[in-house]
Amino acid sequence: MTKERVIEVIKNNIIENLDDLEVDDIDPQKSMKDYGANSLDMIEVVSCSMRELKIKIPRSELADIANIDHLADKFMDYVDK
Amino acid sequence: MPDVLSYSLADFFYTDNPDVLSPPEDFLEWINHPRVRQCFSFFEQQLLAAPRTSTEILSNIDNKRRKIINLTSYNYLGLSSHPEVIQAAKEALDQYGLGASGAPLLSGTFDLHARFARMLADFKQKEDCLLYSSGLGGNMGAIQGILRKGDMFILDEKCHKSLVDGGTLSGAKMLFFEHNNPDSLAMMLEKSRGKRVMVAVEGVYSMDGDLVKLKDIVEVCDQYKAAIYIDEAHSTLMFGPNGRGVAEHFGLEHKMGVSFGTLSKSFGGVGGFVCSNADLISYLKCYSSPWNFSCASSPPVVAGLIKALEVATRDSSLRDKMWQNVAYFKKRLVDLKLDIGQTESQVIPIIIGSSGEKLMSFAWEIQKRGLFLQPVDFPAVPAESRRFRISVSSQLTQAEMDEALNIIEDVIAKGLKS
Repeated sequence: MTKERVIEVIKNNIIENLDDLEVDDIDPQKSMKDYGANSLDMIEVVSCSMRELKIKIPRSELADIANIDHLADKFMDYVDK
Repeated sequence: MPDVLSYSLADFFYTDNPDVLSPPEDFLEWINHPRVRQCFSFFEQQLLAAPRTSTEILSNIDNKRRKIINLTSYNYLGLSSHPEVIQAAKEALDQYGLGASGAPLLSGTFDLHARFARMLADFKQKEDCLLYSSGLGGNMGAIQGILRKGDMFILDEKCHKSLVDGGTLSGAKMLFFEHNNPDSLAMMLEKSRGKRVMVAVEGVYSMDGDLVKLKDIVEVCDQYKAAIYIDEAHSTLMFGPNGRGVAEHFGLEHKMGVSFGTLSKSFGGVGGFVCSNADLISYLKCYSSPWNFSCASSPPVVAGLIKALEVATRDSSLRDKMWQNVAYFKKRLVDLKLDIGQTESQVIPIIIGSSGEKLMSFAWEIQKRGLFLQPVDFPAVPAESRRFRISVSSQLTQAEMDEALNIIEDVIAKGLKS
């Protein structure tokens, strides 16, 4: 699986969970917080994305993720493992 | 599952199990692993007597009865087992029986409930008060009763789950501001312009023991005309010249739109209460589900609580004693060079760091030595600041404190150095 695909999954879950946002509005270099996500929204996006990608990463490893691109990198470490 | 200890309860909320009556398969694999089971053995340990500072538990770690010094119960003023409180509850049991046998709106309101609600409203200097049979239900029910879809609910990021659940249930959009940061709050209020807004803070934050920076919060909220909801679960009866809480301590009670308190901590019983203007309380009686669809509090509990309020406010002796004990504990813990964070209250964390293994091995050893001091692990606190959390009570004797501190020194202070 490519990183582009992983980012697409994350973006789709962001627009599912946040109001008034289109896929093209989302810049992976930004944090979900920049789009108005609260911590519960972020848990929802991360969990739904992991479920879709069929991966499981301990939440404790995700504490330092700064933006959507870093989240995709972390997911890539686990995809196809 | 590799490295079971790197997983936590934060990882199993969502499930793919096609059978809704079964938890996620990997959750069962995780929670039944011997090392995880060992961690969970600290939960649900049975107390075999009142939650006094010296009591007895059935220790899960070896299934033995164990006499312990109790630094974990929230019985901050010792009221749960105060002789006058027990007597009042006994008398009410004889007069009213065990349960209220109805929801407050239809048949569950006794003279005791009405009297206690009036006492609490007067105590908090608000027009009226609603009593709930659960503390969590009170917070959740008040938020759910006040806010609607389209409203904004802005919470300090360290607010309790009951406030978050109330927000979720209300349908309001929730935004979290950085802990005690007025600039971050202003940013969230800016995003909420044009909407109905309520801001939630706590008097004492329960995992760190620090206080709300209420003056700064009020200043920002005034600027944006946002209502303030304060949760004084860990501060009522302890803070302020008259024990009314942190809002009284800061002289800002009149700025609090809603003041919530719990009846299970310093009060020594169970339940919650919400004080506000009479119109809002009247509205909540119609729309706050945990009040109008739940059985009212047990009459003997309410009678005990009435007496607890009388005892705690007839003079300041109980809270004075508690603060003396807090000062002693803090000084000794600092002398031991332990990290107690930014605590300003009777809730004192001992922050261990990121090692879950150390936390659990210390917890095990502490309990074997006769100290009931529970570990608090991720995700309840950040993974890098796992901790023990001391609840200081006015009941603690000098001998109990010294023995507890000896155990803390031997196990935690020395353990962190080795």
